[in-house]
Amino acid sequence: MDELEFRRRIYADPNTTDSDLVAAANADEKKRAFWQEQKVLDSKLKQTFKVDVPEDLASKLIWQQSADEFSRYKKRSRWYVAIAASVAFAVGISFTMLQQQSISLGDHALAHMQYADVEESHSLLPVDLNMVNAKLASFGASFDTMIDGVEVANYCHLSTVQSLHLIVDTPQGKMSVFVVPSRDNFKVPSEFEDDSFHGESFKMQQANIIVVGNKGSDLSTMKDAVANRIQFSA
Amino acid sequence: MFARNKIDNTQVLSSMKAKHQRYEALVKAFHADIFRYAYWLVKDKSVAEDIVQETFLRAWRSLDALNDEKAAKGWLITILRRENARRFERKQLELVDIDDVFIHDDTQQAEGDIKERELHRLLGTLSIEYREPLILQLLFGFSGEEIATQLDLNKNTVMTRLFRARNQLKEALEKQNQHRGQANG
Repeated sequence: MDELEFRRRIYADPNTTDSDLVAAANADEKKRAFWQEQKVLDSKLKQTFKVDVPEDLASKLIWQQSADEFSRYKKRSRWYVAIAASVAFAVGISFTMLQQQSISLGDHALAHMQYADVEESHSLLPVDLNMVNAKLASFGASFDTMIDGVEVANYCHLSTVQSLHLIVDTPQGKMSVFVVPSRDNFKVPSEFEDDSFHGESFKMQQANIIVVGNKGSDLSTMKDAVANRIQFSA
Repeated sequence: MFARNKIDNTQVLSSMKAKHQRYEALVKAFHADIFRYAYWLVKDKSVAEDIVQETFLRAWRSLDALNDEKAAKGWLITILRRENARRFERKQLELVDIDDVFIHDDTQQAEGDIKERELHRLLGTLSIEYREPLILQLLFGFSGEEIATQLDLNKNTVMTRLFRARNQLKEALEKQNQHRGQANG
């Protein structure tokens, strides 16, 4: 092994244990001295490389990690708060809308009153108990005896709810009875009115009964009449 | 449902705890040598400290990506070098080439071994492509092949650079001894 090759390889790695280098060093005292010199230089270099490390560096590194984690956690929880606020807002909005919807069921009943006269003219046949009960059957209900003065019995829609609309002639004028199935998604107001009509409702097992009459008329007789006669199957 | 959440939470907590322990172990094992590496890259202790903090912050955030504990050293060095390159891009205009002004080194005590101070200064004057493989070899005990992988270089190139680095140091030391000899004589 020539001198240059030997030096090149020792320079590249003074701690090498390559057997041919060891053999070459053993055979040549100058090479051995050179190698030794390099090893000494190397250990000095190692020492020089080992500059002092700031004492608190490790603690700083651990501290900044937990600070980083905390700020991220805070950001994340802010995000959760935002989501929670949105959900609460949406719930609030839809609750209000549901409320409005159920209030409008009374309004729908009142609106039907405006068309009561028109509907009446369609009915040429007298209304009997069987016909009313046939229509009530879809609500699981029936009358055991007929209410006096029923002129019209028709399905109608109050908002999106199918109901049975009876128009009854009474001594106090025309009254309407609505039979509305009970459901969770709406509420029937117990009392409502507009300029010419007022209405009251009460709840039975499977249906709400709404009675609407002229303003100032007493609805309790009709309410009792319906409540006493209507029967629910099962 | 709540029971399941509870289990999930304890799992998350214990995995967070494990991650903390891993991170702390990483800091304790490597912060000193990583700091020294940074110092010898930039030759400024406070800049080196900044880079090390950035490095460990990034390491923490992507700790899950470190699967092999043996690779931790190389992984940290890679993050450190990337961080240094980023800093260099950011502050390129503000920087002065330190090689030109590297006359005093305040970090070394005046009463320190004269030879070591000289060596410190000489290491600073080595160009970075010679100094960096030397750091990896002497500070981290990397083999030629490992240095090549770490720096994304050919192994022969690494060996040549190591050779030239030592050669330059030796020549510089000899020249100084001559100067001193002349001055003394």
